[in-house]
Amino acid sequence: MNQTNPAHPGGSPTLPDVQRLLDAELSLRSRLGYVALLLGSLGMAALAGALWLTEPALPFRTQVAFALMIVIGLSWTVFSVWVLRHRRVLYARQHIVAGRMAVAFTSVFVVSALAIGYGSGKDGAYAAAALGGVMLIGAVLMLLRGHRAFNRLAERRDGLARELGRST
Amino acid sequence: MTDNSAHGLEAREDEWLAVRCQLGERAAFDELVARWHEPLWRYVRRVTAEDEAAREVLQDVWVRVIRGIVRLREGSKLRPWLFGIARRALMDRLRERYATPAAVPLQDFDLAADQDTSALEEDLASMQQGLEELPVTEREVLTLFYLRELSLAEVAEVLGVPAGTVKSRLFRARQMLRRDMDTKGRPV
Repeated sequence: MNQTNPAHPGGSPTLPDVQRLLDAELSLRSRLGYVALLLGSLGMAALAGALWLTEPALPFRTQVAFALMIVIGLSWTVFSVWVLRHRRVLYARQHIVAGRMAVAFTSVFVVSALAIGYGSGKDGAYAAAALGGVMLIGAVLMLLRGHRAFNRLAERRDGLARELGRST
Repeated sequence: MTDNSAHGLEAREDEWLAVRCQLGERAAFDELVARWHEPLWRYVRRVTAEDEAAREVLQDVWVRVIRGIVRLREGSKLRPWLFGIARRALMDRLRERYATPAAVPLQDFDLAADQDTSALEEDLASMQQGLEELPVTEREVLTLFYLRELSLAEVAEVLGVPAGTVKSRLFRARQMLRRDMDTKGRPV
């Protein structure tokens, strides 16, 4: 913020400065990174929880390890939700992209867990698939909500553009 | 074009811009900055009366705008929302600077008789020095009102006070500025 705006010798922040701020703040890559972190950490916590609940007579050290994995997974989940709500907020288009990522991720998670369960006959895999199913429902609902919000805004934008004689 | 229809058109323009930002259109953010950077700078600069402080506050304002615009419910209220954010950023800055900000006693005045203010309204920039010597509350209300970007009702919305209180603050601010100008021999 050290450049000087010729219009303000004293100097308001120059437009290029603000453009750089926009570039950093609006970076799609960083947003999608946090969406991926959210999905991955949630998946890890769900998998560890399912295995812990369904494996009988686990050694104490293994139980501690699962508990730690769940805590770590949920901590990253909370952190990424906080970032996406306060620092890298998702705009309507990005909600749809995030929703699609969530549906794809949870679908792969469910199919993989079912395949493992079918191949190994382990209850833990089926429990993980059930948890994944719940996450998949949440992801689909999130995607539908994202589409509704986007359509509502796009409709309003187009209506205003017509009123104002602008192109969209 | 009447004032009402002009105001209605401005409100629709503002909403169009806000909605496009909420959709995530990069071009809309560029337009938002191009349209509002200067008015926000003038407001923040006059209230802080310091270039460096104003630069920092304005950067903070833009960060808050970019992160907060998804939560703006009525796009037609974009401009009071923007100046409201600028005001909160300024207040936060003042709170940081003075751990316990002095409360400014406010009194209501009747503005009805105060109609001879055209000279003050013409060029606020030329009175920058006198303006900088006013208390923050008065400096703020004069700046907001004479930026000519906000209606009286919108200034009231930004400040979070009734329109009558805005009028009384304007009255008092102009009186103080006039006294200051008279004392120091600057033309009003």
